[in-house]
Amino acid sequence: MSETLTDMRSEYGKTLIEIGKENPNVVVLGADTTDSLKTLSFGKEFPDRFFNVGIAEANLVTVAAGLAYAGKTPFASTYAIFLPGRCVDQIRNAIAYPSRDDKNGLNVKLVVSHGGISVGADGGSHQQIEDIAIMRAIPHLTVLIPADTIAVSKLTWIMSQRYGPHYMRMARSATPLIHQESQEFEIGKGIVLRDGTDCTIAACGITVKMALDAADLLKKEGISCRVIDGFSIKPIDENLLEKAAKETGCIVTCEEHNVMGGFGSAVSEVVSERHPVPIKRIGVQDKFGESARDNEIPQLLEKHGISSINIAKVAKEARSRK
Amino acid sequence: MGMNYYQIKKNARRARKLVIRGTTAAGSGHPGGSFSMAEIMGCLLYKYMRYDPKNPLWEDRDRLVLSKGHASPGLFSNLAVAGFFDEAEIDTLRKLGSRLQGHPDYKCPGVEFCGGSLGIGLSFSIGNALAAKIDSKNHRIFTIIGDGESDEGQVWEAAMTGAKYKVDNMTVILDRNFIQQDSYTEKIMPLDEELTGDDLSEMWKDASRWKLGDKWRSFGWNVIEIDGHRIEQIDAALKKATQTRNTPSIIVARTVKGKGVEHMEDNPKWHGVAPKKEIAPIIDLELDCQFMIAPSIIAGDMANLENEVKRCVEGRADYIHLDVMDGQFVQNTTFDHNKIKELRPLTVIPFDAHLMINEPVKHVNDYINAGCDIVTVHAEVCDESSFGEIKDTLRQNQVGIGLAINPDTNLPEWSFQFLSDLDQLIVMSVVPGKSGQKYIESTHQKTQDLVKVLTEHKFDGFIEADGGVDLTNVGQCFTDGARAFVGGSAIIGQKDVRGVISDFRKEILKARRKLLIKKAYDLGGRDLVNKWIELHLIGDKKTQLIQMAKELGYS
Repeated sequence: MSETLTDMRSEYGKTLIEIGKENPNVVVLGADTTDSLKTLSFGKEFPDRFFNVGIAEANLVTVAAGLAYAGKTPFASTYAIFLPGRCVDQIRNAIAYPSRDDKNGLNVKLVVSHGGISVGADGGSHQQIEDIAIMRAIPHLTVLIPADTIAVSKLTWIMSQRYGPHYMRMARSATPLIHQESQEFEIGKGIVLRDGTDCTIAACGITVKMALDAADLLKKEGISCRVIDGFSIKPIDENLLEKAAKETGCIVTCEEHNVMGGFGSAVSEVVSERHPVPIKRIGVQDKFGESARDNEIPQLLEKHGISSINIAKVAKEARSRK
Repeated sequence: MGMNYYQIKKNARRARKLVIRGTTAAGSGHPGGSFSMAEIMGCLLYKYMRYDPKNPLWEDRDRLVLSKGHASPGLFSNLAVAGFFDEAEIDTLRKLGSRLQGHPDYKCPGVEFCGGSLGIGLSFSIGNALAAKIDSKNHRIFTIIGDGESDEGQVWEAAMTGAKYKVDNMTVILDRNFIQQDSYTEKIMPLDEELTGDDLSEMWKDASRWKLGDKWRSFGWNVIEIDGHRIEQIDAALKKATQTRNTPSIIVARTVKGKGVEHMEDNPKWHGVAPKKEIAPIIDLELDCQFMIAPSIIAGDMANLENEVKRCVEGRADYIHLDVMDGQFVQNTTFDHNKIKELRPLTVIPFDAHLMINEPVKHVNDYINAGCDIVTVHAEVCDESSFGEIKDTLRQNQVGIGLAINPDTNLPEWSFQFLSDLDQLIVMSVVPGKSGQKYIESTHQKTQDLVKVLTEHKFDGFIEADGGVDLTNVGQCFTDGARAFVGGSAIIGQKDVRGVISDFRKEILKARRKLLIKKAYDLGGRDLVNKWIELHLIGDKKTQLIQMAKELGYS
């Protein structure tokens, strides 16, 4: 069965224009990657609300902070590797820290593309596998990883209406649709895509699709898997994870991020405190990535154990430890 | 707030004292960089910026961004003086639960930028300025950046962005104090030229070595270079920057780290250290001892006053004393407001108009319109009603308020109610009317007695000694309590005006040092005198002070 692949960046750019039409406070900033991030079209539609600061990400982030302080809702975008990786100080001190009364942090939306190792050809230097760890350690920040373009669009809308600093990581490659158009998204709430009783696979971003495929494989072996799209990395859905731990007895996490400090760590923190069960974390095992052409990206991911086959294998291991 | 030159000066002094109070109580903090920007902060908060301390988030307020966030004691102190919160709150600086954090924070009303991480305030300001442009708002963003933080690459990213987007609704002031945490900026990371050796003073004086302004010019900015402690220069620069369109403006203000306290000035050790508790009262007194020198140009060539003004400017006078005589209140006639109006465009140095005329209340507007910065009228020709009117008119027009008394006049009783409003009191030490007379010795005692009366009535202006003041008596005049000194023939009558003004300063400084040594002795005997002297690390101050303390019998 051939899947329809859709592009997260195009969806993001399109959604920004829709939001921009409704909300005059929304401004968009880029750092010489506006064509790639598909924000350029917003600039054409609203030239006075669009700023390209050149290859100067620290400045990008801090100018966005200033715009937010003055009442705007800035969306600042470039590649993942250049925002959390390069600008942690500015994100922390200029965006997350400044708080007045009940407003925690400034109202900046950092939206990046090219998260994880599925970046491919650009190689390890451009594959951000530390951003979840960095961003979720900063107080006041919300961290989101959409699994498909429907999630991208809905989360972009939510961010535009929800006060506070947000970080959203998109993938470079086109992705299959996971969600229905009618799917509702709420920050802090995970989505159960498939119910099951033997094991829970919690995934985020492009690995959600792999989790579903793994569940299909396991089903053939008579193993019933619950699959969760954990797009809301922070705040994380503690209740949903506790429930999954109780009801399925083991959890496998999956992400294209270093297993240290990432989504799997976040899940483990919750489960170990609320209802300890065996957990296995699939992700980059504290290594750097490398180049791969587009058609080789599945192999690159496989090399790091990020594949439906490996998820299925690990799920069985987790289950055996129950 | 629209305050005059003298009020700004007084508020800067008040804020400096609060910096000492706060950092001493905290036991840490950054007084040096707070003092280098004191006058800049003063001009912004007390003259240029529109804000409402009772409504700190008023939408149309001007925004003050302190990018060099470690100078937060300077920011907090000025916000307190400006009325955002009670001055006593400075005692909570850096303490648990305080609104006055180690670096600027939104916990404190009036703070617009949470600074601390250096080099990012300019980008933040640009964001604010761009938002104001989108919204067609008229408020301005004023941003103070440091020279040390200019090592950060982001400053230059922001510089390019400011030029690209023609951010002209923002004024940047660079506090160029030449010192960063480790040492002199030109040793750590030269912005002008590498400094070899340890004598910063040569670097400061030699304009041909300054290249920082050129850097900004090459980034497409409108650059205005000034002495950042001279209020009139800051004032003029802010005016010019505010009027510049389509180009971002930066005022490169050359300043002295620790300005106002001799042992802190130009001393890298005072970047991030608080004064010791026992030293604080001596520093406090030193801050009360700021002084100014004002040559009186009628002692020069009356046919070419333009040239006399020029000599004062080149001689680095603090302001220019203009003796207006009408031939009635005094025998002589000099010039009137028309002449002052002609001289005004020649310089931004404050004009200190001393009106020796009858019925000053009828003429005060002429002198305001001529561009005087302070107007002093004689008590002998005023009464409660006319002086009240003069005071109000001057205040409304942001002109300093001065009262003068002749040698045989005492402060009239009607004047007591006005003493707290006065910016200046001229105590004449010659019979007014002509230049070149000898100082009347009894004025020393008279001034000392006056200080008590003035203190009782909450006078916080400057006593100006006027008449026969020269190098032999200026030190004693300072000790008496005078803080501004008019020099007639003793300054303007000399060939080398700059040299003689510098000699005046040295004499006053000597008197001030004696006063401070005495204060140290009174507070803590020889031990404290020695401790205080030990702090004077830069140049040959220490040697001079040791000698002086010996002569005074305090060491």
